[in-house]
Amino acid sequence: METKTVAVCMWSLGQGGLPVGTEEALTLGRKVASATGARLHLLVLGSLPDDCVETAGRFGVDDVDQIEDAALEAFSPDAYVEALAGYCQQESPALMIFSQAADTRVVAPRLAGRVGAGVVMNAVDVALGEGGGLQATASAYGGDTQMVYELSGAASYVVALSANALLPEPAEGGATQPGCRSIQVDLTGTNERIRVIEQARTEGPRLEDADIIVSGGRGLGGPENYKLIEQLAEALGGLAGASRPIVDEGWVDSSQQVGLTGKITRPALYLAAGISGASQHMAGCSAAKTIVAINKDPDAAIFRYASYGLVGDCLEILPELIRAARQ
Amino acid sequence: MRIVVCVKEVLDPDAVNNYALAGRLEIGEDGKSLTQTTIPRLMNGFDEQALEAALRLRDAGAEGRIGAVSVGPDAATILKHAAALGVDEIASVLMGEPSPDYHVVASLLAAYIRSSGDADLILCGRQASDDDQGVVPALICEALGMPLVTNARAIELAPAADEPTLRITRVTPDGDEVVEVPCPAVVTVSNELGEPRYPTAARKLAARRMKPEIITPEALALSPEALQPRVVAQRQFVPTVSGDCEFLPGETPAELADALIARLRQESVIS
Ligand SMILES: Cc1cc2nc3c(=O)[nH]c(=O)nc-3n(C[C@H](O)[C@H](O)[C@H](O)COP(=O)(O)OP(=O)(O)OC[C@H]3O[C@@H](n4cnc5c(N)ncnc54)[C@H](O)[C@@H]3O)c2cc1C
Ligand SMILES: Nc1ncnc2c1ncn2[C@@H]1O[C@H](COP(=O)(O)O)[C@@H](O)[C@H]1O
Repeated sequence: METKTVAVCMWSLGQGGLPVGTEEALTLGRKVASATGARLHLLVLGSLPDDCVETAGRFGVDDVDQIEDAALEAFSPDAYVEALAGYCQQESPALMIFSQAADTRVVAPRLAGRVGAGVVMNAVDVALGEGGGLQATASAYGGDTQMVYELSGAASYVVALSANALLPEPAEGGATQPGCRSIQVDLTGTNERIRVIEQARTEGPRLEDADIIVSGGRGLGGPENYKLIEQLAEALGGLAGASRPIVDEGWVDSSQQVGLTGKITRPALYLAAGISGASQHMAGCSAAKTIVAINKDPDAAIFRYASYGLVGDCLEILPELIRAARQ
Repeated sequence: MRIVVCVKEVLDPDAVNNYALAGRLEIGEDGKSLTQTTIPRLMNGFDEQALEAALRLRDAGAEGRIGAVSVGPDAATILKHAAALGVDEIASVLMGEPSPDYHVVASLLAAYIRSSGDADLILCGRQASDDDQGVVPALICEALGMPLVTNARAIELAPAADEPTLRITRVTPDGDEVVEVPCPAVVTVSNELGEPRYPTAARKLAARRMKPEIITPEALALSPEALQPRVVAQRQFVPTVSGDCEFLPGETPAELADALIARLRQESVIS
């Protein structure tokens, strides 16, 4: 595989700033581009976020490419895949990097299928292997293991970088002054096949943005005890989260699930009560700065990730924590 | 309407988790396979729910056949489980070594579906619990030119539509979304769909005699390009977890709580 162009792809849907994870994706893109002597592009679908070109420069981007089209104003998988495929046809990037999120989980593998690229999701790194080809490392089994994949056999690759996999690092040699290019792709023939009947509604603040999260798991014993989690979250000025089993049991809404198939969070404080610490749960919170675990089993896996541990019955400790936090 | 459910055999993720935590997960001589024979093999959990979604559609009055297909070295056990649940056709695409990559698996599944009479609905799990990739459904949808709807928690036939149309409730980070999509389509199913049913003893017994149709990759007459792996597993390893937890002292719940809150305030983690 010859690597001439590495493109980081993103869209902000008119939200103003760069979407979360863009700087991380650019950091990885810069690393691969440097190692292979490729040019680094930032491809933006839709309108350019305010600070886009300046940030791109800080991360060493050579060109900011933009595809603007009425069909890209709202998220539409069919139009997005078509636009990206058109870009691939014109620019032949060897590597397309996405920051993994709900939208990119649909678009990235479809793009790979459309253009015949290889695809790796949940990537934590891409680097040159011993043979001189690219290798992607991705988490598996929820993070219990990691897989190293050799990227060979296709002309191009699509990689989605896991949220929280690495820390953003601006380009070493100082900022670049990226040029801006407008790329034309004909999207008149694309009609979104999926019709939205009822939009998802975000109610209130999101776990992904929370600074403090208090989560409860099966160790709470019953749905009536989840209020302890909500009360402690409120006393600490944070939000309440959950492990999957209590979502599956219907104690709390699925939008509160933290983990591999739930929310990927990055709070300053993550307090987990009655949660065992399975890898699939930790995939959604292990990037927290401080993890506190309350568990009656001193050997629970969660203590391996925690900075502070309280061994005991969470039903007894939580009310005391609520009291102490309110004082 | 014909529904095809794609099911994958995986190592029990809970057992893998337990071995990993105990520091006893073994990687084989090839440097990439998990070799412990004590780890049970079972149907990917989300695929069980995809099967459940198919059966619920039938319960709700959708007419037609339901098939289950798996690509792998030996999928008889999970396919018989599918049969015991009420699936009409079971097919096993034999692919042993070298174990195929996602692209090859998707090519085989798409070719099987095409050659076996097409499908109005292809159901998959949202991701396989071993590789967590969640790419095979997207690759199938592109191979067959179908739309893809991910993370369904409920699937029904849309009322009063001219053409067969599905109404799907999807789980998104911002809550549930309801969409409609015309058939044929690929839909992935998430755990929010709820508990899958269990087969009755009688059905289990009957399914034991059912044999999956065996399909070789050659029979599907795929191009060399479609069978060309692109993402080849080289190595698997267990990443290290930091693990320097400080257990806070206290005889009573109140003492423990006070110790924690004091410490978090001292470290300016909370105010
Ligand atoms: C593909 C896949 C994806 C998954 N995705 C997710 C995901 O996104 N999020 C997620 O959370 N899980 C996910 N899981 C499930 C995950 O593997 C675990 O099963 C789950 O996280 C366990 O939840 P838990 O810790 O609440 O329950 P358990 O594992 O049952 O643990 C309960 C804990 O509470 C402790 N306890 C019990 N009583 C008390 C008490 N009175 N006081 C204090 N402690 C007590 C116990 O010692 C135990 O450690 C996924 C699994 C798979 C296979
Ligand atoms: N070998 C396989 N045989 C049948 N279906 C599969 C296979 N691999 C993946 N799938 C389907 O694709 C989904 C996502 O798998 P993956 O992309 O590997 O995470 C699974 O839940 C299955 O429905």
